[in-house]
Amino acid sequence: MSKLNVPRRSLLLGSAAIALAPSVAFASSSPDVGKPAPQFTAVDSNGKTWSLADLKGKVVVLEMTNHDCPYVRKHYTSRNMQDQQREAAAKGVVWLTVAASAVGEQGHVTATQANDLTRSRDAAPAAVLLDPQSKVARAYGATVTPHMYIIDAKGTLVYKGGIDSIPSSSASDVPKATQYVRVALDQVLAGKQVTDTSTRAYGCTLKYPKTST
Amino acid sequence: MVRLLALLLVMLASSAAAQSVVTTDNVRSELVSEVATVKPGEPFWVGLRQTIRPKWHTYWKNPGESGLPTEISWKLSEGAKADPIVWPAPTLFDIGGVTNYGFKDEAMLLVRITPPADLAGPLTLAAEANWLVCEDVCIPEEGKFELVLPSGTAATPAPPVTRTLFEQARRAVPTPSPWPARYGLSRTGDPTLLVEARGLKADTVSAVYFFPAEWGPVATMARQNATVTAEGIRIPLKKGDAKTALPAELAGTLVLTEKTADGSIRQAFDLSARLDPAFAPAATTSLANAVGAEEISLLQALLFAVLGGLILNLMPCVFPVLAMKAAAFARLAGHGQGEMRRDGLAYTAGVLASFAAMAGIVIAIRSAVGEVNWGFQFQSPIFSLLIAYLFFVIGLNLSGVFEVGNRLAGVGQGLASRGGTTGAFFTGVLAVIVATPCTAPFMAAALGFALSQPAPATVAVLLAMGLGLALPYLALSMTPALQRLMPRPGAWMDRLRQFLAFPMYASAVWMIWVLTQQTGADGVLYALGGMILIAFAIWLLRIGSGVSAGTWLRRGVAAAAVLLAFGATLKLDDSPATAASTSGGPAAGVSFDGWERFSRARMAEAVAAGKPVFVDFTAAWCITCLVNERVALETPTTRKAFEQAGVVKLKGDWTSRDAEITGVLKELGRAGVPLYLFWPPGADRPKILPQVLTESLILSELSSIPQAKR
Repeated sequence: MSKLNVPRRSLLLGSAAIALAPSVAFASSSPDVGKPAPQFTAVDSNGKTWSLADLKGKVVVLEMTNHDCPYVRKHYTSRNMQDQQREAAAKGVVWLTVAASAVGEQGHVTATQANDLTRSRDAAPAAVLLDPQSKVARAYGATVTPHMYIIDAKGTLVYKGGIDSIPSSSASDVPKATQYVRVALDQVLAGKQVTDTSTRAYGCTLKYPKTST
Repeated sequence: MVRLLALLLVMLASSAAAQSVVTTDNVRSELVSEVATVKPGEPFWVGLRQTIRPKWHTYWKNPGESGLPTEISWKLSEGAKADPIVWPAPTLFDIGGVTNYGFKDEAMLLVRITPPADLAGPLTLAAEANWLVCEDVCIPEEGKFELVLPSGTAATPAPPVTRTLFEQARRAVPTPSPWPARYGLSRTGDPTLLVEARGLKADTVSAVYFFPAEWGPVATMARQNATVTAEGIRIPLKKGDAKTALPAELAGTLVLTEKTADGSIRQAFDLSARLDPAFAPAATTSLANAVGAEEISLLQALLFAVLGGLILNLMPCVFPVLAMKAAAFARLAGHGQGEMRRDGLAYTAGVLASFAAMAGIVIAIRSAVGEVNWGFQFQSPIFSLLIAYLFFVIGLNLSGVFEVGNRLAGVGQGLASRGGTTGAFFTGVLAVIVATPCTAPFMAAALGFALSQPAPATVAVLLAMGLGLALPYLALSMTPALQRLMPRPGAWMDRLRQFLAFPMYASAVWMIWVLTQQTGADGVLYALGGMILIAFAIWLLRIGSGVSAGTWLRRGVAAAAVLLAFGATLKLDDSPATAASTSGGPAAGVSFDGWERFSRARMAEAVAAGKPVFVDFTAAWCITCLVNERVALETPTTRKAFEQAGVVKLKGDWTSRDAEITGVLKELGRAGVPLYLFWPPGADRPKILPQVLTESLILSELSSIPQAKR
C-alpha cells in the first residue's frame, strides 16, 4: 500500500521543483567523441566555402579562436599554434581556424582582418573560417577559446578539449605542457587509438551572440 | 582608516617595505592576516581578499566550462607551511550560455599558515597570485604580495575591522554537510546525487544546485533539476566529458535557499557522495527525459497528456469510479442509442469541466503565489477525510443500504449516482477528483510542463488529460458495435452492483490510510467514528416513513450525527502533516543531547531563579536551524561557554506542530523557526537573537553575563 502513496508525494514535490528549477539554458551540448562529428558549412576569409562533408578522407583540426583572448595570444606569441599548424599541413591534415566570436564581440573579425592576422602572426592554417553567428562553435559545444577538435578521415570526432595541459596565460608554460593536439594527431595519423580523447579546454569564454542562448 | 593605520603599524614594525595590496584594472587584492603577531608553531589564517569590479567575476576552484581558478604560490620563511585555499561557496554565472562558477563583488580566499616552531624574528609571507577576471572578456591578472608579521610569545589578534573580514569570510565558506550523501548511476551512466536530508519541506527549499569540486566527472553545462522528496534532495546530473570512470567519492558543494519566516537564507554545504552500486536511479523515462533535456513541444505535451489520461483509467484510485461507471453502463445497456450517447457526452463534459476548473485554480494560485504543487488538495487531511466519507457512502449505496431518491441532497455522491445526464456529468467530476492523487510519476513531465507554461497551454494540457480519461467511455457510448458486446440487462446487474461496493470500501480504507500518514493514529479514530455516525444517520433516515413527529426527530438526530462526523474535520486541522512527521522517524528528529525540553513553565522557573536561559526553537525540517546548531550552538567552544556561564539550555521541537511553541512564536510575532531567545540573568524580557547565528555572536552574548551580574 505504501507504494501507492510515495510516488504521488514525490510527484507533487517534483513537479514543483521542475517549475522552480533555475534554468541554465544551453540547449546544444557538446558532441561525443567516437560519434560522427557535427556537419558544418562555412565561408573562409578568401570567400571559399568549406563543408565538412567535402573533407571526408582527410584528418581535420578545428581551432576555435578569438585573437584578442589572452590564452589565444599565449599560443601565438609562443609560436606554439603556428608550429602545430605547419606540422599538421606537412602531414596532410586540414587545419581550420574558426573565428567564432559573434558580431560585435571581442575577437570578431572581417575577412580582411582575418587575413591580416594570419600574415602578421605568420600563421599557417588551411583556412580561417568566418563564424560570425558562432554556428560552428555551437554545433561543437565550444565553450572557450582556444577550443580544439580533431576529426578523423572517416568523419568521426576523435578529440575535443584544450590545446595543451597547463591552463595558464603564461607563454613560458608551453614547453612544459603536454601538447594534447599534437599527441592526438600523431596517434590518429598512425592509426592508433587516441589516449586522451577529451581534456579540459581552458581559456576565455567563447563570445556567443548575446541574444541567443 | 583603522585598517590603514594597522597596516602602517605592521609595516613600521617590520623593516621590509611590504606590499600587501595590489590594484589591477579589475580587482583590488589584499593579503590580510587575522593575527598581528604570530606565535611560533601556532597556525593562523590569512586571506587574499578580492574586491572585484562590478559585473566582473573571478573563479572558484572548479571554474566551470571556462575560466581559471585563482592560484597562490607561497614563498614563506624557512619551515613555514601554507595549506591549500579554503574557498567560499561559489555562484553560478551564465555567460552567453556557458556555465561558470565563481565570485562577484567580493571574495576572500582563506589560507591557513603554520609558522615553524623555532621561528625567531618576523615571519615573512610572500605570495604570487594570479587570477582570471572576466566580464564578457577575460583578463588574466597577477600580483605579488608580501606580509611581514612580527613574532612573539603569544599571538595577538589583528584589529577588529580585519577580524570582522575573517568572520564574514568564514560565514561564506560552505559548512560540512549535516547529511550523508550517495550517488548512483543510471543505465545511461549519468549520475544521480541523493543527499539524505530527510523530512525537508519542498516548498521552503529552492535554488538547489550542486557545484562539482572538479571538472570532469559531471557535466557542468547541464542544467540541474533538483527535487526535494521525503527521502532527501535528489539531483540528476549528467556525466562529464572526462573519459575516466566516475570516482568512488563525488565531491562538491551543495547550495540551496531556504525560505524561513523572516526571509530567504542561502546555505552551502560541502559534501562527498560515495558511489552506491545498489542505488540505480531509474533511467528517466522518455517523458521525464523529454522535459529534463530539451523542451518538449506543446503538441508532444498534449499527446502525452491524452495518453496519461487514458492510463489514469487503470489506476487504483480511479477504479471505484470505474465501478460506478460500469454499473451505470450496465443499467443503460439495452436503452436507446441516443441515451447512451448523451450519457457518454455528459460524463466527458463532467471530466473536462473539472479539469478546466482545476486549471483555473492552478492558474489563480500561480498568479497569486507564483508557484503551485500538483495535487495540493491531497495535502489537506480534511480533503482526505471527506473523500473517505464519500467513498464509504457510495459503497453503502452500491451495497443497497439505501437508495438514492431518499432525500440525501447535498452530498456529491447523491448527484453522481443519480441516473441520467446530470448523474453522468457528476460521475465525471468525481472521477477527476479521485484521479488526481493517481497522477503517477510518469505523468510528471506533462504536468511539469503544464504547470510551468503560460495559461492557455496549462489549460490545453490539462484538458487533453481529461479527454484521455474520458475517452474509453466516450468511445463505448458512441460505438454501437462495442455496445453489442455488453451483456443483456438482468438480475446479474444487481449482483454486480453489490459486488462493486467492495472496491469502494477498499478505496475508503486507502484514503483513511493516507489520512493517518498526514495526521497520525488519531485520524483513524475520527474517520471511523465519522463513518459510524454517517451510517447511523442513513439508518435513521431509512426506518419508517410518513410524516410524523418521530420522523422529524430522526431527521434531527441524523443531521446532528452528520454534523458531528464533519466536525471531525475541524479536529484534524490542528495537526496538519509535515513531511517530517510522515516520513521522518526518529533518525530525522531533533537531538536533545545536552538540552532540556522546552516548556513555558521550565523557562519561567529558570528565569525566576536568576539563571541565564537560552531557548532554541527548532525543527527537523529546518535547514537553517541545523546549520546554526552545527556552526554556532554545538561547537566545543560554545558548549564550554554555555557550561561555564551556567546557562539553562532549552530546546523546543516544532517538527510536528506544537501548540505551546506555536503560542510562544505568535507572541513574539514569528511565523516559524528558527527562533532563538536569550534571557540574561535577572532580565525581565528575553533578547531575540538573529536567525543566522555565529559562534562569536553567542560567545559575545554569553560574555555579557558577568557584567549583567555586577
